[in-house]
Amino acid sequence: MCFSGIIPPEHNEINILCSVHMKRIFRVLSFSWFKGSLIFLSGALIFFFCLVFAGLILWPEPRALFEALASEEIRFAIELSLITSLISTMLCAAIALPVAYALSRYQFVSSRLMGLIISLPLSLPPLVAGIALLIFFGPSVFGQLIQATGIDIVYTTSAIIIAQFFVNVPYLIRVMRSAFDSVNPRYEYVARTLGASEPGVFFQVSLPMSKQALLAGLTITWSKAMGEFGAVLMLAGATKMKTETLPIALYLNISTGDLDMAIASATILLAISVGTLVIFEYFFGSRRIL
Amino acid sequence: MPLEIRSLSKTLGDFQLRNVSLTIKDSEYFIILGQSGAGKTILLETIAGIHRPDTGRIFLDGTDITDTPARHRHIGMVYQDYMLFPHLNVEKNIGFGLKQLGEPGEIIRNAVEEISALLGIKHLLERNPETLSGGEQQRVAIARALIIRPRVLLLDEPLSALDAITRRKMRTELSRLPSLTGVSVIHITHHAEDLISLGHRSAVMDEGSVIQVGNPDEIFQNPQTPFVAAFTGMENLFSGIARESHEGKIIRVGTVRIHAITPLTGPVFFGIRSEDLIFSREILKSSARNVLKATVTKIRIMGSLAWVMVDCGICLTGVLTVQSLFELEIDDGDVVYITFKASAVTVFPDENGTGKKGIIS
Repeated sequence: MCFSGIIPPEHNEINILCSVHMKRIFRVLSFSWFKGSLIFLSGALIFFFCLVFAGLILWPEPRALFEALASEEIRFAIELSLITSLISTMLCAAIALPVAYALSRYQFVSSRLMGLIISLPLSLPPLVAGIALLIFFGPSVFGQLIQATGIDIVYTTSAIIIAQFFVNVPYLIRVMRSAFDSVNPRYEYVARTLGASEPGVFFQVSLPMSKQALLAGLTITWSKAMGEFGAVLMLAGATKMKTETLPIALYLNISTGDLDMAIASATILLAISVGTLVIFEYFFGSRRIL
Repeated sequence: MPLEIRSLSKTLGDFQLRNVSLTIKDSEYFIILGQSGAGKTILLETIAGIHRPDTGRIFLDGTDITDTPARHRHIGMVYQDYMLFPHLNVEKNIGFGLKQLGEPGEIIRNAVEEISALLGIKHLLERNPETLSGGEQQRVAIARALIIRPRVLLLDEPLSALDAITRRKMRTELSRLPSLTGVSVIHITHHAEDLISLGHRSAVMDEGSVIQVGNPDEIFQNPQTPFVAAFTGMENLFSGIARESHEGKIIRVGTVRIHAITPLTGPVFFGIRSEDLIFSREILKSSARNVLKATVTKIRIMGSLAWVMVDCGICLTGVLTVQSLFELEIDDGDVVYITFKASAVTVFPDENGTGKKGIIS
């Protein structure tokens, strides 16, 4: 109102409108240049990924691939991988659940340090974990002791399960610990006032409330066990038709130059990964637990 | 006498209970009033058996239950955010307590229906907790706690999370619980209004200690500390020096002299309730001892009441009806007279005061 003498109001308004408009155009232009290049980069990366994986599957003659998939060796590897990974996943669950609950709920001496030690195999290359296991079950005092009782671990099927368990259990503990941490302890308090015993609280409240994380964690643990290579190679060795899991089959066949067989096991491992991912996205897609 | 708490102390993180002693009678509605962080929730959790007290004992019906685990205490607990088990439907939530006892399904089903009918939530049994409104969730949580027939029901801020209309309704329903079920209720809150409309007796807590115990009237009429006074809505609180004079006891705040009836001398706190201030345009001739000339600084009209802030050397807030405000034609900046009785001044000792302290009685 007080400026009306200096600038005609309608003129002033147009000026402001123009400059706002120009600024907005500039902003959109500059922003879309930046945005566009980022999207292009993401697209290029995804294209690269698809190309690499499709190339793997499409490399062998389809008939040769099916023959390799149907071969006795690959069928043995699939069966062995399935059995060992399922057993090791169950073992992981049996140990990880109570340990994760203890670490999450109880304050005990050095529970922090314990958490750290338990997480150590997570950051360790599986090869290192494998060789440590080999020494432990082989020439060490403990190894000698159990060998004296007639139990053979090293280079057997049990070794596959132990190696998979050792590498994966810290991971499942992590997942379940954070799941238990996110359950408000007041739910458990209420359950206790209602007469629930300590195991009752765990099985009727804490565990069901962490069901989503448990299913997600088990799926990933199983998929990781199927693909575990380094630790298995060290402790169980790579013996054809004996300790030959899918990753070991891949390794053995690529060493002997049998590309079709190697790609056959790689294809199965790839399919399992895609399957796990799809299941995971379908059930837990909205919640980024892991 | 179902519940007796003797010199309970507990430190948990930043929260503390200090030497809390309380007795809750049969079928009593007992309110614990205090600010957030006053240690109220810890007190309830310690009574329920979640935390072990550092010192002190808890008795239920004359039996020492200090070392009894929570699940054998028969004390029900309802949290502010209800804590309904999200993985169980309403029926299973309510039946949870009986399931722990290994009762057969049919008995649980009947008991759940009975308690749900009592609380008017029978139509909700198949629903999942997250689909319920705040008031419905609370009723389910109360039903779940009551189904084990507890001797004492602990309610942690039960009305805070509800909207105004539901709150009023729930307040009425809560007040019926003791007569309906025979349970004694301990209800913790930071709303003084809950005290007026619900409590048989009440305790005021501050920083983990119980400061005053009494029925709501006593606490409102005769607050024992400035904290209680402020908490129960006493607007005008000041600190001053009380002296004996030929006119009786006088409290000085700066240049202002207030007549009061108190055995205390030296540094004191005192409070005057807003509704005890009488406003007039001329000096009133009355038996009231305190007449102060004041300037109106602010008027706030809320519904049919007007809160008038005046400056007479100290800033006082008074309340009068809007009708009186218009009849007296009181406006911002006007000069008015404030009259109140010496007995309307509540005096508390100022324990940290630097002046001479002495109680003559």
